[in-house]
Formats: sequence, C-alpha cells, structure tokens
Amino acid sequence: MIRTASAVRRRARIRRGTLLAFLAVMGPGIITGFAGNDAGGVATYTAVGAHYGFAMLWLLLLSTAGLVVIQEMCARMGAVTGKGLSDLIRERFGVRWTIVAMIALLVANGSNVVAEFAGVAASLELLGIERVVSVPAAAIAIWALVVFFSYRVVERALFVLVLAFVAYPVTALIVKPDWDAVLKGVVLPTIPAEQAALIAALALVGTTITPYMQFYIQASIVDKGIDRELYRFARVDVYLGALLTGLNGFFIVVVAGAVLFPSHVTVNSAADAAQALGPLAGAQSKLLFGVGLFGASLLAATVMPLSTSYAICEAFGWESGISRNFREAPVFMGLFTLLIVVGALVVLSPSVPLIPLILVSQNVNGLLLPIVLVFILKLAGDRALMGDQANGRVSQIVGVGTALLASALSVGLVVTTLIRG
Amino acid sequence: MPYLSEIQHRRVIEPNGNEVGKLADVAVVPQGQFPAAQWAILTTPSGEKIIRWGDLAQEIGHFRLRSRLETTPDAQLPSEALRLARDLLDKQIVDTHGAKVVRVNDLQLSEVEGQLRLVGADVGLRGLLRRVGAESLAERVAGLAGRRLPRGIIPWHLVEPLETASPDAAKTAAVRLTIPHAKLALLHPADIADVVEEMTADERVAVFQQLDLETAAEALQEVEPEMQAAIVSDLPEERAADILEEMDPDEAADLLQDLPEERREELVELMEKEEAKDVEELLTYPQESAGGIMTSDVVALGGELTAAQAIDELRVKKPDPELTYYLYVVDGEGRLDGVLSLRDLVVAPPETKVNAIMDPHVLRVDAETPKEEVASLIAKYDLLALPVVDARRKLIGTVTIDDVVELMLPRGWKKRSLRSIAR
Repeated sequence: MIRTASAVRRRARIRRGTLLAFLAVMGPGIITGFAGNDAGGVATYTAVGAHYGFAMLWLLLLSTAGLVVIQEMCARMGAVTGKGLSDLIRERFGVRWTIVAMIALLVANGSNVVAEFAGVAASLELLGIERVVSVPAAAIAIWALVVFFSYRVVERALFVLVLAFVAYPVTALIVKPDWDAVLKGVVLPTIPAEQAALIAALALVGTTITPYMQFYIQASIVDKGIDRELYRFARVDVYLGALLTGLNGFFIVVVAGAVLFPSHVTVNSAADAAQALGPLAGAQSKLLFGVGLFGASLLAATVMPLSTSYAICEAFGWESGISRNFREAPVFMGLFTLLIVVGALVVLSPSVPLIPLILVSQNVNGLLLPIVLVFILKLAGDRALMGDQANGRVSQIVGVGTALLASALSVGLVVTTLIRG
Repeated sequence: MPYLSEIQHRRVIEPNGNEVGKLADVAVVPQGQFPAAQWAILTTPSGEKIIRWGDLAQEIGHFRLRSRLETTPDAQLPSEALRLARDLLDKQIVDTHGAKVVRVNDLQLSEVEGQLRLVGADVGLRGLLRRVGAESLAERVAGLAGRRLPRGIIPWHLVEPLETASPDAAKTAAVRLTIPHAKLALLHPADIADVVEEMTADERVAVFQQLDLETAAEALQEVEPEMQAAIVSDLPEERAADILEEMDPDEAADLLQDLPEERREELVELMEKEEAKDVEELLTYPQESAGGIMTSDVVALGGELTAAQAIDELRVKKPDPELTYYLYVVDGEGRLDGVLSLRDLVVAPPETKVNAIMDPHVLRVDAETPKEEVASLIAKYDLLALPVVDARRKLIGTVTIDDVVELMLPRGWKKRSLRSIAR
C-alpha cells in the first residue's frame, strides 16, 4: 500500500538487469552452504565414507533434498515477514514454546561449538600442537577477535583456507571410484541395524540439515533487506547454497569410501581422515586437510556462538550486539562467552577421541532437528502469516518427511542403545 | 488485577454459574495516556464472541457475565482497536524513554476510577517468568540470595507500538497504520535512527512517512548508509524528494550516490530547483574525494564589506552552526581570498574592511583531493573545516570536521554491525 509507484518501477528495472539483480541479492545462501562445510560436516562425511563405503549416499541425497526445501522455506519467511526465525517463533507461539525452541537451539549449537573446537584441536594436532595449547589459544583468540576487532576482517582469510576442501572433488577424479557402486549407494536405501551405523546415519542427517542453518539463512535474508519482489532472485542463491552443502558432502563420502573403506580404516583422528586425500597430495595430505579443517572450524567456532546469542536475545527481547559491554548486554555477552568456554573445556579433557566426539555432537543436532522443523513447518505453512506465500503441498510434504526421517533415526538409535545397554 | 497473563484464559461464567467459555483477549482503543479496556473477546464452544467489557464482572478466579450469554449483545471492534494479546503480547515495541526496541513479555493493567486500564508494558525478566508460571518460585529463590527480582515495566505513555505489516487481514494492517508515531517524533533524531535500524523494512517506511520533514531528514542522516538507500528506495518518490531537500546537501548527495542511476535521476528531478542544483553539483565529484564529501552550503563574504555589514549579512543568512567555524572571503568572481573567524569579525572596529582583518594565507584543497588527505590536513593543522576550490580558485564548498571524523578514528571505533553475518 505504501510502495506502489516505486515498486512498479523497481520491478521494471529488475526485469531489465536480471543478472545484475541476481548478483546483488546473491550471497546468504551460498555463504550458508559454506558454513555447512564445518568440522562436523567434514568429520561426519569422512567417517561415513570410511566405515560404510557408498552405502549411505542415499541418505545424503534425501537430506540434501530436505535441506533445499527447508532452507527455501526459511528464506521465504524472512523475505515475506521481514523477521528472524526466533522473532516469529516468539510472536506466534508465546513464551513457553519459545523456551523449548531456544533450549533446543542452544543445545544443538552448543554441541556444534564443541565440534568446532574439536576440529581446531584435531587440525593442529596434525601439525604437532597439543590441544592443551591450541584449544585455549583458539578460544581466547575468537573471543578477543569478536569483542575487540571486526569479525569480517578474519572471515575472508578463513574462507580462503576453507577452499582447501576443493581437494575432495579433485581427488574423486584422480582415484576413479567405481561409479556403478556409487550409483547403487545413491539409489538403494540400505542401513545396517546396528548402533554404530545409526549413529553415523543420524550424524549424517544432523550435519547436513543443521538447525543452525535455518536461523542463519533467515536472518541473512532479513538483514540484506530482501523482500518479496527481490526474493525470486535470492531463491536461486538459496538453492545453490543448499546444493553446495550436499555436493560437498557427496565428494567427501565418495573419496573416503574409495580410499579408506577398502583398507578398513577406523577414523578416530584427523590423521586418519587426512589419509583420504593421499592419492592427491601424498605426504602433503595432512597439511592440506589440516589447513582446510582449521579454517572451517575456526570460522564456524566464531559464527556459531555469536549467532546463537543473537537468536536467543532476539526471542526474549534482551539487549544484544557485540559493541555493547557486559553491563549493557549481560545475557548476550554471557551466552557468547559461556558457549566458547564450555566448548573449549569439553574438548580439553585429554582422553576423548576427537572425531567420535564430533560425530556425537552431530547426533545431538540430528536429535533436535525435528523439534526445530515442527516450528518452521507450522510457521511457513501458516496462511495468516505468509498469505499466498505459505508453503505449498510439496514443500510441506518434503518438510514433514525430513522431520520423520530424522525422528525415525533418532528413535532407532535410542532403541538400539537401550537394547544393548 | 495487575497483568494480562493473569486474567487471560480465565473462565467466564453465566449469572447462574454455568461456564460458557474463556477470556481470550482484551481490546482497547489506543488513545489517551492509559487506554481503558473496552471489549472482551471470549472463546466459546461456538466460536469467538466479542462483548463490551462492561458486560463482565471480575470475581475471584473467574469472570461473571451480567446476563446470559445469548442475551449479551455482540460488540463490533472499531478498526482502530488494539487487541492486547494478539497485537501487543510478544511483539516488539519502542521504549521511547530508553530509545530502544524491546519485546512485550506481559501487559500491566490497573483499575483506575472503576475502569480497567492499560498502564504499562512489562519487558523485564519478571514478565517472562510470570508467563511460564515461575514468578513466585523465582522470587523465593532470589529472596534466599537476599536479592529482589528487578521490575521492567515501561509506563504505557512512554511506549510506541511498532507496526507489523501482516498480510493476513487488511484489517490488522489498517489498525496498525492508524497509530501515529507521535511519541517517536519527540526523540532525538539520532535516537530515532537507532530505533529505526532495529525495525523491519515496512515499519521503517511507515515511520519516515509520518515524521515531520525536518525530523525525518535529520533522522535519516543518522541512519547507516546502506539502510538509508533502502529506506529512500521504498518511500514514495515525492516523499523521498521532500526529505532529501531538507537534508544537508552533502549528506543528500552521498545518499543519492548509493542509489541506482534511474532512481537518482527521478528523485533529483522531483526536488526543488535550488536544492537539486546543489546536490547535482556535488554528485559530479567522486565520492571518495573532497568534492564528494563537502557541503556546498558555505558562508562567503565579499572583501569590500565592512565588519558591521558582514555581521548584518550573517544575521540575514542565519548559517548552520557548523558553517560558522570559519568565514571565507571571496573576490568579485567568487575566488577565495582569505579567511577570518567569527571572533575576528566581532572584535574588529565596525568600519574596518573585511579585507583588512582576514588572513590571506588560507589552507585549501581541490575538489579532487582524496578524502583521506583532507582528513589528515584537518587533523594536522587542528582545523574545524577546510575550503574546497575549483581549478580557478573559485570557492565551491567546505569539508567540515564532522564529514571526516570517521576517517580519523582508530579502526574498530566505527559502529560495528555484525548482525548480518552472525545470527
């Protein structure tokens, strides 16, 4: 009602410069896709490939399909309502349900922070640095970086390190995996009914569709000021980002499945995981893997505590913002600090094997995913909120299917654990 | 009967004690300091029913209808009515006292002269705890520690509800749009800018529609650059052009520079001739140069004027305070000859020629000088402003210290915006 004439004119302009318009709104989706490339992702995909070969690729395909649909939902909610996901949860479901959702988010993201610090420790152990040194140093560096400097400066440098993971598709071409077997893994849904396999499967789903990504994409869309009109262009970016996450996972599983699986390597440390890049980098594979893992882990370890604190403070109306101090924004700064401290402390206990620790953390994500999905599906399907942009039948079915898949794996895992225990 | 959360969902009974439904919501018309509860919305087995508040009597633990449900007349909510639970609870509001956006955890109601009135918004921890039924427990725990839970209630007359453009019912949207932002307008423009940065795009546009032009212009100048462009893009052209006219020409030019070319041209066309000319001139200089950051408003005095005449001229022109740091002296062609301070002018004998009191050694820069260089000159010579001249030494503008102060601050002092990467 307010923006009649200008909207019409703007639309005309967009039609003329379609490519330009796309480039202008591109970003949030692809960046979120990159964020899926963190320690949790790399460790999980490697372990799944090394322990089960190509057998779980079908699950990755389903997860990626779910991710594409769910990320699009959240981006659309951001564009239509102009509000973040935690805003909407609070306004639509009230205080009690908000507490449920925020506890789920806090626990899921908290376990991700643990995974990121485990990634930092594992990557630096490859270079001979003990975790009693690397983890506290990383924790202090992250905290100081965010509080005293600008996050963006370091963001770019770390992104460059993450590019080391391009090594996976390249390795995949070099090792020439048995593509027929790969295809069979993608198409045939099989899963060993044992606890370890269910842990791996749930971690695979949990790391591909991390609850964190939904909050992140919606916030990015809102902050970029992408509205209904611009959303057509942003959607392409969101799809690309989600596909990137899946594709990245695919190549890691394939490489690990082709290199590590035949020789029955159990992935317990970063050194085990790094062997997957052996055919490409030989003796340098530890360095290559270490650099990529370090960049990805540190990047995510910085973003994760920040984004969690923002989401929670937004839901409860507490002061937030990193330029504020402890007195002005006690909860925000407290949560941010607590997440880093707890994440670092868990990893510091010396006897914990790092890669299995990361797998467990991704299981926590998988367990909590259905809770977050229920909120998302209720909101995105709500015509009163979304109008004609509410979820269509396909989106709703895929969304529900994904929630059911994660729930089924969770229940299966709990049941097998109880039987064994 | 202090809080909405305490009376919401209470049972509603008929005079004979027969339960007919629950209290779902309370509606007020948001006028006056503390608006009175005028309607009750009940959920009954046959659906929602709106009645006048006066048809209910509060008793301990429940509400009693004054007559049977069927004989209680249905009421109509006027379009400007606000439903407290649906429209305010859990939503964001502006605390005009603290100048920040906060979330409503609960609403405080109070009996004033026999009328239940909305007196405050609870935005504190107590409100949250009350909503989950843990207020008294938390109070006892805090009491054990020898502390009291802080109250976080903002009196209603200091609250400004935010519009939420929900696409559902045109009705809801209409309700919100009728709320004037009168209280917001009383804030300092810099505070308005802070508040506006927290809002959604639609709310921002609504605010800039309703503020008076001068306040809108001042507030817009304080908003972060990327957001400025977004706001101006979303406003109707006429309104945007009016606001741009009110802004300092250099700020307006900076903002226009961030817009797509077409939109920029449309807006400049709609602006008043004089303001448009200033802005267009500024637009021809690169953004990173002295010409790009300078303002073309400048106080230039003819050298042949006497001190008394010069003071008279200032009295007529009433220049902005930041333009009176230095007074520039120009010749008949507008070429820069010298500089003097307001003090020099005031203490000089009234008949002295300006030429005689001015300092002819005036530091100046070209329009093409990079802004970093301008900043370092201003810093080095402890200046408050620097004149900008064209190739023929004609005075075309000034760069004041507030145009370059950001470049002088150490890194990290700038307001950091992390929201986009981190949430």
